[in-house]
Amino acid sequence: MTDTAVRVTGLTKKFGAFTAIDDVSFTVERNKIYGLLGRNGAGKTTLMQLLTGQQFATSGTLEVFGASPVENARVLQSLCFIKESQKYPDSFRPEHVFANAPWFFAHWDAAFAARLVDDFRLPLNRPIKKLSRGQLSAVGVIIGLASRAPLTFFDEPYLGLDAVARQIFYDRLLEDYAEHPRTIILSTHLIDEVSNLLEHVLVIDEGRILMDQDAEQLRGTASTVVGKKTDVDAFVAGRDIISRDGIGGLASVTVAGLGETERTAARAAGLELSPVSLQQLIVQRTTSTTSESMTTTDAWSARS
Amino acid sequence: MTDLLTGTAASVHPRSAPARIWNVLRLHLVDRRTYIGIPWLIVGIAFVITVFIAQIIGFTAGGLGTPDAIEGQRYSWAVLSPQWYLIVVGVQAISFGFPLALGFGVTRRDFYLGTALLFVLISAANALAFAVLTQLEQVTEGWFIDTYMFNALWLGIDGFWVDLFSFFVMQLLVFFIGASIATIYMRWRMPGMLVFWSSLALAIVGTVTIITFTSSWPPVAVWFGAQGIAGIFAWLLVPAALAGFGGFLALRRATPKN
Repeated sequence: MTDTAVRVTGLTKKFGAFTAIDDVSFTVERNKIYGLLGRNGAGKTTLMQLLTGQQFATSGTLEVFGASPVENARVLQSLCFIKESQKYPDSFRPEHVFANAPWFFAHWDAAFAARLVDDFRLPLNRPIKKLSRGQLSAVGVIIGLASRAPLTFFDEPYLGLDAVARQIFYDRLLEDYAEHPRTIILSTHLIDEVSNLLEHVLVIDEGRILMDQDAEQLRGTASTVVGKKTDVDAFVAGRDIISRDGIGGLASVTVAGLGETERTAARAAGLELSPVSLQQLIVQRTTSTTSESMTTTDAWSARS
Repeated sequence: MTDLLTGTAASVHPRSAPARIWNVLRLHLVDRRTYIGIPWLIVGIAFVITVFIAQIIGFTAGGLGTPDAIEGQRYSWAVLSPQWYLIVVGVQAISFGFPLALGFGVTRRDFYLGTALLFVLISAANALAFAVLTQLEQVTEGWFIDTYMFNALWLGIDGFWVDLFSFFVMQLLVFFIGASIATIYMRWRMPGMLVFWSSLALAIVGTVTIITFTSSWPPVAVWFGAQGIAGIFAWLLVPAALAGFGGFLALRRATPKN
């Protein structure tokens, strides 16, 4: 009946004195790709562990497909969550993991998994503890994709993957998602890498949801105006300035919400309009002080 | 929100509880080396070593096959050689199996029941195999070379059924002790380990102290003697069951490490 995959209300998770998730409320709609974005230690993994019944909430309510996921076999059978730090039995090789998968994922596609193994050039019979970081990520990505679970989590899927492998993940995810729609929650701190995939953005910081917005709308909420300093200053006067940058007589200012008439006006004034990347936007929105430089943007992708 | 089942795509084929529990057992057995290959490899190596040692004993004692030589081989622990490895397997079944099972969307309950079922079945299979090998060793008079590995310690004394029962209990105990220690760690981490090991040490030291101070060692020895092999292993079912049920209760609220 409902189009809601996840409904979270007032969710809090404390580890002793430390509050990992702080009174969080949001919903996840079915058959959409969500980005769960945030810095390291922001609470992304804890939130996903709560959603998959791996952690117990301190307070608040949590519904996945209409019921609490904790010890709920019906709900858990529809989930797939391979953590970035997933542990495997000591003697396991990737072939063992993939041999297991069909017993737990009703929609497991072995042919698709085999194709992904080729794509990622994953050695099937090398012990998992001897895999490189990228190969380990590939194991998780392959399970996540081929399981076709109605609610699939990808936890830092890009970790250690090379550029080719990242592109493969991106392509395969979109292809398969188009054929087999499902709800996907992709957690990462590398926003630019995934920004084109995302339909909805959840930004979490210090255990709180900072942003819960449609990705398309979010992109439209700001634009960067570039041109001669005097012209730019005249145009942006009185507007909601998100950030400002300039070299010599040129200025580049990011402003909030420009309508179509304002865009035409800007172009008429000889100014250039450029879209703002999701990453820049989120960094600017989550950094409380508006700094003159835009170099803070790189802080998100510094650890790759 | 009331119409739950139609909403979830995967619920088209919800798996029954027995099927889910059986799948957990298959998860543990997907790599056969852990539970079957390596333990029997260890038994094989132990047997080869036993043959050599038997020859050495025979050389120094002036011949094998004498009642003395056969009795001397009773003190060998070779028959229990895979148990040291299997206690680690019991630990790893929880410490590695649990986080993976949760990632695969298994409930704690199903995971524990599947793991316990695996322990029971492997224990039964091992008990049958070792009890049969003990009999074969007697029939062939030490594999035709007067080498006795399976008729050792308490095995091969009270007959096939006592061997079968006692080995089954011992094997269960090994698995469940390993698993429950790992479960205590999974649930309470380091503080749990500290409390567990220190209370265990205190309990042992306390028991020894009480028996010594009340000069009760002779009656204790008499009591053990009166139980017989089958009786002692029947008593060992108590700690095995405690570890098994305690592990279940502890794991129901355990969380995997990050």
